[in-house]
This record gives sequence, C-alpha cells and structure tokens, in this order.
Amino acid sequence: MEAPLKYIFDSIQYLKPEVAVSIFLAILVTVDLVLGKKNKQVLPYIALAGLVITGYFVTQQFGTSAFASVQHNIGNFGLIAVDSFGNYFKLIIILSSIFIVLFSISSIEIKQVFDRHGEYYSLIFGMMLGMMLMVSSADLILIYLSIELVSLSSYVLAGFTKQSLRNSEASLKYIIYGGTASGIMLFGISILYGIMGTTNLYAINTILQNGAFQPLALIISCILIFTGFGFKISAAPFHFWTPDVYEGAPIAITAYLSIASKAAGFALLIRFIKVTFIQTIGEDGYWQLLGVIDWKSFLIMISILTMTLGNFSALWQDNLKRMLAYSSIAHAGYMLLGLAVFSDQGVMAILIYFLIYLFMNLGAFFVVMLIANKIGSEEIDEYDGIAYKTPLLAVSLAVFLISLTGLPPTAGFIAKLYLFIALVDAKMIAVAIIALLNTVVSLYYYIRVLKHMFLTKPKVEGERITIGIADTVVLLAMLIPIFLFGLYFTPIVNFAKNSIALLGF
Amino acid sequence: MTLYDIIFYLFALVTISSAYLVVTVRNIVYSAFSLLFTLFGIAGLYALLGADFVAIVQLIVYVGGILILMIFGVMLTNKITNVQIKTGVFQILPATIGVGIFGGFLLAVLLNTNWLNLNVKDSPATTFQLGQLLMNEWVLPFELLGIVLLIALLGAASIARK
Amino acid sequence: MLEQYLPVFIVLGIAIVFGVATVLSSIIFGPQRPTTEKLSTYESGMKPVGTTKERVSIKYYLIAMLFIIFDLEVIFVYPWAVQFKKLFHEFGISVFISMFIFLVIFEIGYLYVYKKGGFKWD
Repeated sequence: MEAPLKYIFDSIQYLKPEVAVSIFLAILVTVDLVLGKKNKQVLPYIALAGLVITGYFVTQQFGTSAFASVQHNIGNFGLIAVDSFGNYFKLIIILSSIFIVLFSISSIEIKQVFDRHGEYYSLIFGMMLGMMLMVSSADLILIYLSIELVSLSSYVLAGFTKQSLRNSEASLKYIIYGGTASGIMLFGISILYGIMGTTNLYAINTILQNGAFQPLALIISCILIFTGFGFKISAAPFHFWTPDVYEGAPIAITAYLSIASKAAGFALLIRFIKVTFIQTIGEDGYWQLLGVIDWKSFLIMISILTMTLGNFSALWQDNLKRMLAYSSIAHAGYMLLGLAVFSDQGVMAILIYFLIYLFMNLGAFFVVMLIANKIGSEEIDEYDGIAYKTPLLAVSLAVFLISLTGLPPTAGFIAKLYLFIALVDAKMIAVAIIALLNTVVSLYYYIRVLKHMFLTKPKVEGERITIGIADTVVLLAMLIPIFLFGLYFTPIVNFAKNSIALLGF
Repeated sequence: MTLYDIIFYLFALVTISSAYLVVTVRNIVYSAFSLLFTLFGIAGLYALLGADFVAIVQLIVYVGGILILMIFGVMLTNKITNVQIKTGVFQILPATIGVGIFGGFLLAVLLNTNWLNLNVKDSPATTFQLGQLLMNEWVLPFELLGIVLLIALLGAASIARK
Repeated sequence: MLEQYLPVFIVLGIAIVFGVATVLSSIIFGPQRPTTEKLSTYESGMKPVGTTKERVSIKYYLIAMLFIIFDLEVIFVYPWAVQFKKLFHEFGISVFISMFIFLVIFEIGYLYVYKKGGFKWD
C-alpha cells in the first residue's frame, strides 16, 4: 500500500467511530433513495442502529491514547488525538444523539415533514461526525473543517420544518451570525499560522515552550479564535443568537444544539487551551500555563458575564423554550468556571456536569415537546394548571427544572457541588460566591414555571394529556438517572476521573 | 519602487476602494457589482503572493459563482432596489469607533510582529504541491471535505424543496 | 514568479485601457443629437412597461446554489487531475482510490438531489 491511503489505513483502528458514522450517513441517504414514500419509518431505526454501533466502537476505544493521521514532517504529531477525554465527549454526543432520534420519532413537528426524513437523519449524522472530530482534532485546519461541518448541518436543521416564520428566522439568523463567527475565527487562525508556521496545536505548544512567542499577535489571534469557540458554546458576548435560534428551531433540534453542540464546543475549547498553552501540570493537578496570555482572568470575566446575562435575561421570558435557551447560556457560564480553575479537578467537574446536564436539559426539552405536541404552544401562560391534566409530565418537568437549579437530592446538585468544590479548592472564593448568587437568581425563573403548572388554575378546562408507552419509557430513561446520580454518584465521578487525560498531558 | 510594488498597490487600490463602495453605496445592486471588483482585486493579490491556485479558485468560485448567486438574490427579491439602507449618525458613530479600535489593534499586530516569511517571488506553481499534499498527509481532511460537500448538497436540496 | 504573470498583467492592462478608451472616445468624439425616439428603449417596438429590474424566479437561485457546490467539487479535483501522471508515478494506485472515495461520497449527494427532483425546472 503506497502513501496516500497509508495515512488512512495506519490510523483506521483509531478512527472506527468516525468511519462508522460516515458509512451510516451514506447508508441513510441511499436507503432513503431506494425506499418509497411509505417506508420512511425505518430510517430512525437505521439511525439508532448506527448510533449503537458507533457507541460500541467508542467504548472499545477507551484507554487508548494515540495520534491518528500522523504527520511525519512536523515531529510525528497527528491531525487527530484519540484519548479518553475525547472519548468521554464522544460518548456524550452519541448518547444525546440517541435521545434526539427517539425525540424525533414522537415529535409532531418532525412527523409533519415525513417526506424529508432522509435528509433529517443524514444531517444529524453529518453534524455528529463533525462534533466527534471537533472533540478530538488537534490541528487548526481540521478544527475549522469540523466546525464548518457541524455548522452547515445545524443551520439547515434549525430551519428544517419550514412550517412557520420563526423557523425560517431561526435558520437565517443562525447562518448569518454563524458565518460571521467562523469567518472571524478563520482570520485568527491565519494570524496564528502566520507567526507559528504550523497549524498543529502540539507543534505550536513546542514552539511556545521554547519561548519564542510574540504576545500581541498571539493575543489577538487567540481572541479571534475564541470568538468561534464562544459562538458554539454560546458564551457571553457571542450568545445573542441562542434565544432566537433555540426558540425557532424544532424542539428536538433545540435540545440537540443545547447539549451536543455545546459539549463539542467545550471539548474543543479545553483541548485548544490545554494543549496549546500548557507548560507543566503540577503534582496537585493544577496546570501551569505559559504566561503569554492571561487566560484565567479572561475566562473568569467571560463566564461571570455569561451566567449573569443568561440568568437575568431568563427572568423576563414568557416562552419556555426561550427561557431554557437563556438557562443554557447560564449553564455554559458555570461550566466555563470549571475550565477557569485550570486544574484536572476543574475539568473533572465539567465532565460530571455535562453528563448530568445531558439528562436534565434533554428531559426538560422532551417534556416541553410532549406538551407542545398536544397544546401546540410553549408559552408559560399556557401551562397554567397543566399538572391537573397530566400529572406525570408536570412532575417530571418539575424534577428536571429543580435539577437544573441544582437542589438536592437531584443530580444537578452533584454537578454544581463538584464545580464549587473545584472553585473553593483553587481559592476562587469570590467567583464561587458570584456563581452561588446566580444559582439563587435562577431558582426564581425555574420555580415560576412550577407555580404556573401546579398552583394556577387553568383558564379553560382542557382534556387530559396522555402520552404513549414509548414516550413514557424515554422519559423515565432520563428521569431515573436524575435521582440515581443524585444519590449514588460514585460511578460517574470515577468515570469522569478516569477520562480527564488528554493525549500527551 | 519595482514593478511588483506597482502592481501590488494597483490591486490594493482596486480592492479597498471598491470595498468602500460596497458598504457605502445606497443602491444594493451597485454594491453587489462593486463587490465584483473587490473579489477580483483579492484574486490579483493572491496571484502576487504566489498562490496561483488560490487566485484561480477565487476567480472561479467567488467571481464566477458566489457573486452571481448574490446578484440573483438581489434580483429575485421584490422591490429590493427600492430599499434605502439606513446609515444614520446613530449607526455610523459606534461602527467607526469599533472599526477604528479593531483596525488599530490589527495595525499594531501587523507592524510589531515578526512574521514568518516565505520567498514567494521565486516559488514554483502551487497546484502540484497542493495535489501532492491533498493526496498525502492531508488525505483525511480531503475525504472529510467530501462529506462536508455532501452535507452542503443535502442541505441545499432540503432548503430547495417545498 | 512574477515574470510568469507579466503577460497576464499586460493583457489585463491592455484590456482595461481598450475598454475604457473605446467607450470614452465614442462619448467624446461621436456626434450627439438625441431625440425622444432615439432615447426610448426600443426605437421601433412596443412601449416599455415597468422597470428594468424584473424579479427573476427563485429557481435560478437554487440552480446557482447547486452550481457552486459542484464548482467547489471540481476545484478539488483540479490539482489532482493536472498532475495525475506524476502523482500516480509517485504514489501508485492509491491516488486513484482516494479520489474515487471522494467522488463516491459526493455522487451519493448528486444522486440524491437528482432523484428528489432538485434539477427539475417546473
């Protein structure tokens, strides 16, 4: 086997999940072409099968740490770093994709466009491939390409149903803001390449370790690159797209954007900062960053801004989807604090947070979707007295919202607890207090929904809302972990602890 | 001043002046057409930098494709030529300040940085090197690019159909 | 490097000068005696109605969008195609295979758009 394919075949053992996703993407498109109009309902099950197989390959990969697609001319660094950290995030992405496919099966919005189901699931797979590459790529060109892959799919998915004006509005706003953000990021990458002469993060780190850096150009390029990452995780100055897009997109896609896309963005940000700027890791797990950029103050500033803006804007929202959008901005702020600690403990807190956030946020969106399927609205006023119509859904939503607030005995408490422990251990008490105050503010708008559901009498007596067995099973699959991890959290803590290692560090 | 410099400044002048027209002209059709010269000028700059392949791509894709798409976009929108784009003092002031600060930073970076220099004046044609790289170390991003284009095609088909 | 491009720039310069000069000279030297008939859009045809800025159909846009995607595809085949012999000599059959994979991935999309009627005009 001669050169070109050697680069693929040498590393295919590390790229099995990505290859599986690509093959299933092709299968989905072809099956959709071959099948007639009537057999579209097999598509989600093919998608589920693909996700399970991909998940299997990812779990097989745990423990390996190696470069895939190695570039021999720049010190044997590769384009893709396969390590436990990336695999953890890949697992989160696959888990959330499974839930999203299940959501889509029962979503009325998606059912209405059944003749385009082939495109829908293919786009989800394309987005997933992009995100899986985002969490593991160690080269700026691949980072840009994978971000573009994610963005392209999510622009289309955000406006997929084309039923209402706000749907198209979501897609259009997303594409304009997203295009600008990735353009700015590309500019930053070009400046970084101009001073470093390489696009590989590990190679850049080697150059920086040798002390040859030019602060001004480096700072500007990193801020510009952060714009692209910040857009994906909806951090404060780049969050403005979130409410509109989340409100307008189909709920299943909103949930997907709020978990998977954000997880990929976070993984990428952590990898970028750690790999590029690390000097040493101390005995106690604290990172010594190269003193060229004050990432710590920068991130603390961004995260405080993000959570405060998110929480205070959420107070005035009357649309539940929009409120959850602001709440997801606030959660991004909390998680950024975990990175700002710059220790293995902080990263572990982020990993725990994300696994729990997956269940609680997806659960909240799922309940909102089921109720919207029946009453056709997400306005909080429409939720008046909904507990009398559907006790199960109302109670589950209550649990998810309490968990999002971070109150015991739910898993959300554990997530926040580990984050605050990491902050206090790093002697960032003032920041911890600000985060705590933010949590108190968030209590108000979460509880407000509960008040509408349980204490307000409905304006019109409606019929009882019933849900099918399949939906109940999916709901329980998200509800049970909330309590389980709230009380018995050792397994996920251990799992996260074993997954903090990045390749080489 | 060598011939190289003269040609460079010529293209730079074309690029900047037409880019200025793009954002200031009130008739949107005119600004779409001045974009043509901006993109063309950039293609010339690429050629001067020794990136001949990128220059051709710029001409084929941007001037030949995307600009046409934009002009279609302008033409199929009802009464878009009558739209008066608002540029009052209210918008100009913050925009000037923002652009000024950003431009200042970029200028500082530009002047104070020790850029890595390639001697472009006698580098060979890049097309072969590019083909070699795409077939060699970068074959993985190359195949990924196929998937990105596939997704773009699916997305376009999805948006296009009713 | 620049020497390779010098003819291009010379042609470019001549083209610009020629274009501008012909238009300008006809304005400067040509006799101008305008009448209403001469200034109308069709001197001896139907009366023009409406503006010249007609709306075009959205279908043009879709075709243009697909065109750009295919354009990009061709761009990446180009550096491979012009040097295929050299590359083949250097790397062997796998040069062909890696481009084949790239094209197959894309052709799936092409077939999809074709089957779903993306190229139909009506």
